[in-house]
Amino acid sequence: MTTYSDIRGYRVKYLSSDPTLSTSNEGQVWYNSTEGVLKSLVQIKAWSAGGNLGTARRNLAGAGTQTEGLAFGGFNPPTTVYDLTEEYSGYTWATGGALSTARQQLAGTGTQTAGLAFGGLVGTTLQSATEEYNGSTWGPGGSLGTARRTLAGAGIQTAGLAFGGGTPTAVANTEEYNGSTWAGGGNLGVARRNLAGCGTQTAGLGFGGELDPGTSNATEEYDGTSWTAGGNLNTARQVLAGAGTQTAGLAFGGSPLTGATEEYDGLIWATSSAVMATLRSALGGAGTQKAALAFGGGTPTNTAATEEYFSSISNYSPSTQDAWASGGNLPAAKYFLTTIGTQTAALGFGGNPYTTSTFSYNGTSWTTVPGTMNTLRGAKLGGAGTQTAGLAYGGMTPPGTVFSAATESWDGSVWTTVPATMNTARAGFGSAGTQTAALAFGGFVPAITAASESYNGTAWTTTSSLNTARQNLGGSGIQTSALAYAGLTTPPSIVQSATESWDGSTWTSVTSMNTARSNLGNAGVSNTSAIGMGGSPTGAPASNGTATETWDGTSWSTRLNMSTARRYIAGCGTQTVALASGGYDGTTLTATEEWTAGGPASPTGAVASTLTTS
Amino acid sequence: MALFIYGTATNTGKGFFTAEDRRAFFLRGFPGDVWVVGNNEKGALWLAEKNGVEKTKAEAQAIVDAEVAAAQAAWDALPEEQKNNGINSRPTAITLP
Repeated sequence: MTTYSDIRGYRVKYLSSDPTLSTSNEGQVWYNSTEGVLKSLVQIKAWSAGGNLGTARRNLAGAGTQTEGLAFGGFNPPTTVYDLTEEYSGYTWATGGALSTARQQLAGTGTQTAGLAFGGLVGTTLQSATEEYNGSTWGPGGSLGTARRTLAGAGIQTAGLAFGGGTPTAVANTEEYNGSTWAGGGNLGVARRNLAGCGTQTAGLGFGGELDPGTSNATEEYDGTSWTAGGNLNTARQVLAGAGTQTAGLAFGGSPLTGATEEYDGLIWATSSAVMATLRSALGGAGTQKAALAFGGGTPTNTAATEEYFSSISNYSPSTQDAWASGGNLPAAKYFLTTIGTQTAALGFGGNPYTTSTFSYNGTSWTTVPGTMNTLRGAKLGGAGTQTAGLAYGGMTPPGTVFSAATESWDGSVWTTVPATMNTARAGFGSAGTQTAALAFGGFVPAITAASESYNGTAWTTTSSLNTARQNLGGSGIQTSALAYAGLTTPPSIVQSATESWDGSTWTSVTSMNTARSNLGNAGVSNTSAIGMGGSPTGAPASNGTATETWDGTSWSTRLNMSTARRYIAGCGTQTVALASGGYDGTTLTATEEWTAGGPASPTGAVASTLTTS
Repeated sequence: MALFIYGTATNTGKGFFTAEDRRAFFLRGFPGDVWVVGNNEKGALWLAEKNGVEKTKAEAQAIVDAEVAAAQAAWDALPEEQKNNGINSRPTAITLP
């Protein structure tokens, strides 16, 4: 078999925790020994379709974020100039207040509720006007010192930045807005128009653009006083859009017509693997480097298309398979043992052959602990709680014909019989809950019963009954959210697949298990998360099964089979990490199996093609 | 080629078979410490590493039959009230795959 080492010349790192999520670690493959998962660090970059603008247009301006965007102004050749404003919700564009002055080739910045529009062109007249948006209407602001079009903007409504543009010759002028007036700032190093900008008034970024003549790939960084050269774009372009900040900028689209996207880290531009689906120039842009918005533009005809850019770097874990592995053997062979707790901290008590012994599991081995139960009983008594705070109730006492209603409480070292006894002495029933909030349902008394009752730490109270009376069923969850599944009805002995969901007051029939059975192992934490393990798939005579099914709140899914077919299994834990102990396969068993559910690849949606190796 | 390898091995608990084992080959346990594993290199290695004793299918079936017969005899010896107490049923025969 070819190994990673054979392919890459390196062995996979064995780490106790994940490395830093940064591009410097992109493509690294490691084994997280704490989680037991093989992982890789992957970049996921993509443009996806958003809601279309109400009015297709080019030479418009944008502001805001990917989920709260703003588009305003624009142009539709040959002569239509727009005053239209549209607001983006993350899904659709809605009409906002119109600009006082319809214009194109303007610049914009700010947010959806505090936007700024400045400069531009009306007919053949250069604009110096500034307008401020409050989320519904545009109001007048201070005029630019230099009227111009095809300029760039950055900052916010009360601290804006205007730079470059055409008068019509390319200019290098920079102006700073304080919420009411514009004042001169440091000039760009390279005069240009049709450039893009992002960032803030004191940490601005200008990139690309049109020279006199030519197309620029230059980037400049503004510090509130002067511009200095930054890293060049990989693709020189003009009439492009920008988003983000000075140290996390994004450039997209432009002319020559492109959908190319580049990310800036404060030093260099890196071409993104994602390209806009609609190549365009003279578009609007908003958002951040990780979540940007592109809208409108020319393709060369006007487009209303909106695209949303996502860029993330995150752990990728390949899908994992279900697994049953052997756990530590019980100190004594047991069937009808009751277990509570988790896969790594479980408690076992009662069961057959009858003993008062208590077992404790630490994730590796079972040991017999000093505390013994006060009442000798088996036949699937009820269990609730944890390894250190448990509750035992009901069951059958020797020689196997007397039903118990006794309740005992476990404090981690001692079993104490509590005064409260169950209303209905029973065995082979479903149980759920905690030491002070437990539930019992179904079983036999000796007739099969549907009766349910709950315990509040002091007393047992009769509750609504199951819809289907049954014994030797599976039960799991908590007192307010439990699940009853499978079981046996007699006469005649018929195994059941019926499932019922408990919401704290009522049992409701839901989707049945795929394999009818009784005497299965059970675990789970609520009425939306459970697992059934093994059990007898036949009534009389009983047999032994290996089938594993998990419940997700809607349906049961067939999972990897257990290794040893058995019934009368003790189960505890959760749907994803469970423990199956003891039982009977023709002989009484000590064997324990540990269940670990497989899972899908993460992050969701990542595909193999996004994996890269260094 | 036979699909399975038959043998006996004592389940020593944690680590006796692992999740990786389950992914690598068929594995199923039966009464009498009988194990049926997939007839491939990894299955054979697993049985050997567990100090297993390889059996023919007939030999393995005989071990299982003897275990079941003993369990049936034990059940038959129970008082009638315990046979009919709603929780026990007479052990049934098991046929190895």
